[in-house]
Amino acid sequence: MNLTKTLKTIGKLIKPLKKSIIPLFLIFLFLVIDVYCNLTLPSYTADIVDIGIQNTDFNYIISVGTMMMAMVLIGVLSTIGLSYFSSKVSAAYGRDLRKISYDKILKFSNFELNKISRASLITRNTNDVYQIQIFLGLFFTTILFSPILGIGSIIKALELGTNLMWIIAVTFAALIIPFIIIFVKTVPYFSIMQELTDKINQTSREILIGMPVIKAFIRQDYEEERFEETNEDFRSVNLKVFRTLLVLLPGMTLLLNVMIVLILYFGAYDAIRGEILTGTIIAFIQYATQIVMAFLMMGGFLVMTPRILVSGRRVAEVINTEISITDGPIDKIDDNPTIEFKGVTYSFPGSEKEILKDISFKLEKGKTTAIIGGTGSGKSTILNLIPRLQDVSGGEILINDKNIKEYKLSAIRDRISYAPQKAILFEGTIRSNMLIGKADASDEEIKEALNMAEVDFIESLDDEVSQGASNFSGGQKQRLQLARSIIAVRDFYLFDDCFSALDMNTEAKVKGNLKSLSENSSMLIVSQRISTIMDADEIIVLDEGRIIDKGSHDYLSENCNIYREIVSSQIEQSKEFLYDGGESSNFIIDTDYIRKTSGGK
Amino acid sequence: MARKPRRAPPEKPANTKKSIKNILSLLRGYKLKLTLTVICGIISTVFSVISPLLIGFATTAIFDGITSGNMNIEYIVNLLMVVVILYVISAVFSYLQSYLLLDITTDISYNLRMDLIEKITHLSMGDLDVKTRGDILSRITNDVDSLQSGIVQTFNQLLTGVITIVGVSVMMLSINLWMTLATIVLVPIAFFIIIKVTKFSQDYYLKQLEYRGRLNGQIEESFTGHEIIRSFNQEEESMMIFEEENENWYEHEWKSKFFSSLSSPLIHFISNLQYVIISVLGAVLVLQSAISVGDILAFIQYSKNFTTPIEQITRVMNMIQTAMAASERIFEFLEIDIEENPSSEQINEIAEEISFENVNFGYNEDEMIIKDLSFKVKKGEKVAIVGETGAGKTTIVKLLMRFYDLNSGEIKIDGVNINRYDKNSVRSLVGMVLQDTWLFNDTIFNNIRYGKLDATEEEVIAASKEAHADNFIMQSAEGYGMVLNEDTDNISHGQKQLLTIARTILSNKQILVLDEATSSVDTRTEKIIQKAMDKLMKNRTSFIIAHRLSTVRDADKIIVIDDGHIIEQGNHDELMEQKGYYYNTLNSQSSDDIA
Repeated sequence: MNLTKTLKTIGKLIKPLKKSIIPLFLIFLFLVIDVYCNLTLPSYTADIVDIGIQNTDFNYIISVGTMMMAMVLIGVLSTIGLSYFSSKVSAAYGRDLRKISYDKILKFSNFELNKISRASLITRNTNDVYQIQIFLGLFFTTILFSPILGIGSIIKALELGTNLMWIIAVTFAALIIPFIIIFVKTVPYFSIMQELTDKINQTSREILIGMPVIKAFIRQDYEEERFEETNEDFRSVNLKVFRTLLVLLPGMTLLLNVMIVLILYFGAYDAIRGEILTGTIIAFIQYATQIVMAFLMMGGFLVMTPRILVSGRRVAEVINTEISITDGPIDKIDDNPTIEFKGVTYSFPGSEKEILKDISFKLEKGKTTAIIGGTGSGKSTILNLIPRLQDVSGGEILINDKNIKEYKLSAIRDRISYAPQKAILFEGTIRSNMLIGKADASDEEIKEALNMAEVDFIESLDDEVSQGASNFSGGQKQRLQLARSIIAVRDFYLFDDCFSALDMNTEAKVKGNLKSLSENSSMLIVSQRISTIMDADEIIVLDEGRIIDKGSHDYLSENCNIYREIVSSQIEQSKEFLYDGGESSNFIIDTDYIRKTSGGK
Repeated sequence: MARKPRRAPPEKPANTKKSIKNILSLLRGYKLKLTLTVICGIISTVFSVISPLLIGFATTAIFDGITSGNMNIEYIVNLLMVVVILYVISAVFSYLQSYLLLDITTDISYNLRMDLIEKITHLSMGDLDVKTRGDILSRITNDVDSLQSGIVQTFNQLLTGVITIVGVSVMMLSINLWMTLATIVLVPIAFFIIIKVTKFSQDYYLKQLEYRGRLNGQIEESFTGHEIIRSFNQEEESMMIFEEENENWYEHEWKSKFFSSLSSPLIHFISNLQYVIISVLGAVLVLQSAISVGDILAFIQYSKNFTTPIEQITRVMNMIQTAMAASERIFEFLEIDIEENPSSEQINEIAEEISFENVNFGYNEDEMIIKDLSFKVKKGEKVAIVGETGAGKTTIVKLLMRFYDLNSGEIKIDGVNINRYDKNSVRSLVGMVLQDTWLFNDTIFNNIRYGKLDATEEEVIAASKEAHADNFIMQSAEGYGMVLNEDTDNISHGQKQLLTIARTILSNKQILVLDEATSSVDTRTEKIIQKAMDKLMKNRTSFIIAHRLSTVRDADKIIVIDDGHIIEQGNHDELMEQKGYYYNTLNSQSSDDIA
């Protein structure tokens, strides 16, 4: 582990604590007071025994007792104060750190999002920050307490002026060696145990999800055996680890008690020589116990720190991330804008493989452009480049003949409406989701957009949308997000395969409704389905990141092999296995028939 | 025991008596080991409780030696020797106690997990549907864990705690009545305070838990919808919502932390008070010659032994409640009746036809999904089932698989109601390829062999070739040895589909169900899958569920389902003639083609 790097991480993470300087000072003060009060008690007891009892001084005993009472009271008050401030400071720290990282993540582009992965970002912003926050609370109340208590106890024990300090050192050494051995032996097993726990989870989940298949293949016994293997591994590792770990507690207790016995034994010899008094021995035993306990506690926390450092580094990585996509100077885009791709290439940073190669096309008012291609052909990437969710690697995108990077991000995005492949809605109501598309939309406008998107399954605009919109089906979600994206009048509408979960009838209706929109704006539709894009003004056929050909449906049907292949697979499909050549003509005749009856459209 | 469940609020079991009975039933098999555990616990505790008294004697001897100037060193050494021996014995038995307990509880957890899995694999689909996956999974992991630690804590901490308290009381009483009373009087107070504070902080804990959940949900949602937030310029709005939730949690979180951390300073306070009382009162009593100096040291140690177990017991009480609630959930699941399978009559093949006769079915009594459905399929025919999402297409094949029982009507194979056969024998006739490919975290070879567990390597490869899966398998370096990762996402969806087809080919079933098998793959892969499926369907009775018409056109019979009814049936040409739903849908699918 690189020390300067670790220190840097800690420095970064400590920043939010700056505004809590005064409470931090109070925490430290209370801690010292608390330790001091605790430490005085045994020496007062020594005084009672060695002076009060030895001299039969009743008043002395009472006055020392009163002092002790006062110390106990001050002690408890400062502990309560300590708890108060440490709870507040650590919770506020968590809150602020979470805010800093949330704010940062909101500014991420797709590149940063993919580099760390969304799932991991969620864990970092929730769990990792929480771990650090918990650790901080523990640090104030317990971790900081033990060295202060340990050092204080050493000072107090030295003050007693005995010859017995070496016993503490010996005990400590006797404790620490087996302690280390046990940890070295068991720690590697902890990750194995974690893996096995995950594996149990994984196998159970697999079985649960696969029940229909398991029942169909009658594989119940097979699955039980599969689970039993993991379960058995888990049991044996568990036994191995804990049989070793369980030695710790009785072993520690034994050594501590032996230490007390040693103190008494050697104390007795010192007492013969008149070097020590009984009360002092009693007090020394208390201090010695506290010293050993304090250092053991510190050892325990040391074991904890690597885990916290991992969380810390994960959060620091988020905060330190440099954002690759930032605002340009121009904050206004002229009316009737055009967007032009000029020789655009795209590859993941650090990757040789080009996702897009030499892409050129132009979006303008009143024109509908469509992109068709198989999975992984780069369709979605093209769409992501327009609102600058990610940036081109080569070539350029121009808005009104100026490079897209010269504009302010919000200015670009104000002109664009975007509906991704995976429909995402936010917890709230139908209305609150629609207002994302247009902040000042009236109920009438919302209803109109919902109608256009064929949303016929809601009762009112106040219908609840649960987290992840799990109360709606895939097709319903797609229609809702479509409504959200068409509620505002924008210059560019980007639809990324967002009709895929609709059945054919609904899709046809929705597309009819969108006609009016396409007259005054520019539309870019991505799809795998021919029926979705067939009537576009320009269809771009994309294969492995390259534009194979572009043109109208009729043009491409004539001239583009890949396009024809896609069309045949979807519309006049599979003559080779459905019908032999002769019978396939049936279908062609049928479509002719439809052509006539659909009103010459 | 590996990963302790996060400190959850102590849940209360609904029926304490029953859950205690259940837990006892788990322990019944370990009578001997449990008795040994208890005996070890008693020996360990008793020996450790006697020692401070002897240490006190030694201290008194030192004090007397100092006062009289005549130290009886031999007596002191003998005492200390005995003390060390007692401590060693105590430590050994303490380890034995935890060792035995570990053995017992690990075994119990192991068996419970096995029972739960066995239950899952034998439940009917209807009973499985009722519970969410997360709920069942948490019974296997979290609940079994809490139950295990509950049992461990009960026998470790509760048992030793109680023995210690009794032992220490006896020892203290043997020294001096008044000192004992003065020490013990604080205990109920401490107890009372802990319970009060815990209760109070519990409310805050639950509230902060709720707010924390809300905040985490908000974070998860906005990171998932990151593109939407950015492309709609919603960063500020999102920040505002976040800050509000963040602040809410903070308010409850620090209070919860503060109140829950109060019990420890309070306990500390009580134990310090005891310390002061023992020192002062002890000194006074020494002056009156009621006790000796060493007794003060003994009392100081005893008082510590007294508060610690009390703290432990209150903590353990919460854990025990959680454990009982956990056992309740585990047993509730184990008590569900497994899928009934009364008949042992086997059906080995289909000779003529499958028929649905006036079938009615609903997952709930009052909401029928399938209504008065009747149709016949001849052996070797291909039947396509068409209809909108939610029309009940998949339900029909689930009924054939006997995953659910009909509300009324009959499904017959060769004129015999399938309910008259062993369920497994009916299922063994049917092979399924579903939209959700189910494969598991193992090698490709083992995943294909799943269709026929005793298949040879040649058979597996032959099936894979027939399914057009061999090509892509051989492209990877490990070939058939390639391990699918945990999310089985290291191969594409289309490739997974080919593997499930290979698996089904290998299993060589007479009836086939293909449920939307190509709906989420791209066109080129779809062609390959279509080819593979075509080979699969040859000479088999097949049910094809699809929304793409191209897939169904060549079926011998097309059944159009709407709202659980059959609205049209016939072959492609007949349905085109009828100009009904099928015709219209086809029209909408290709009208753009013509425009």
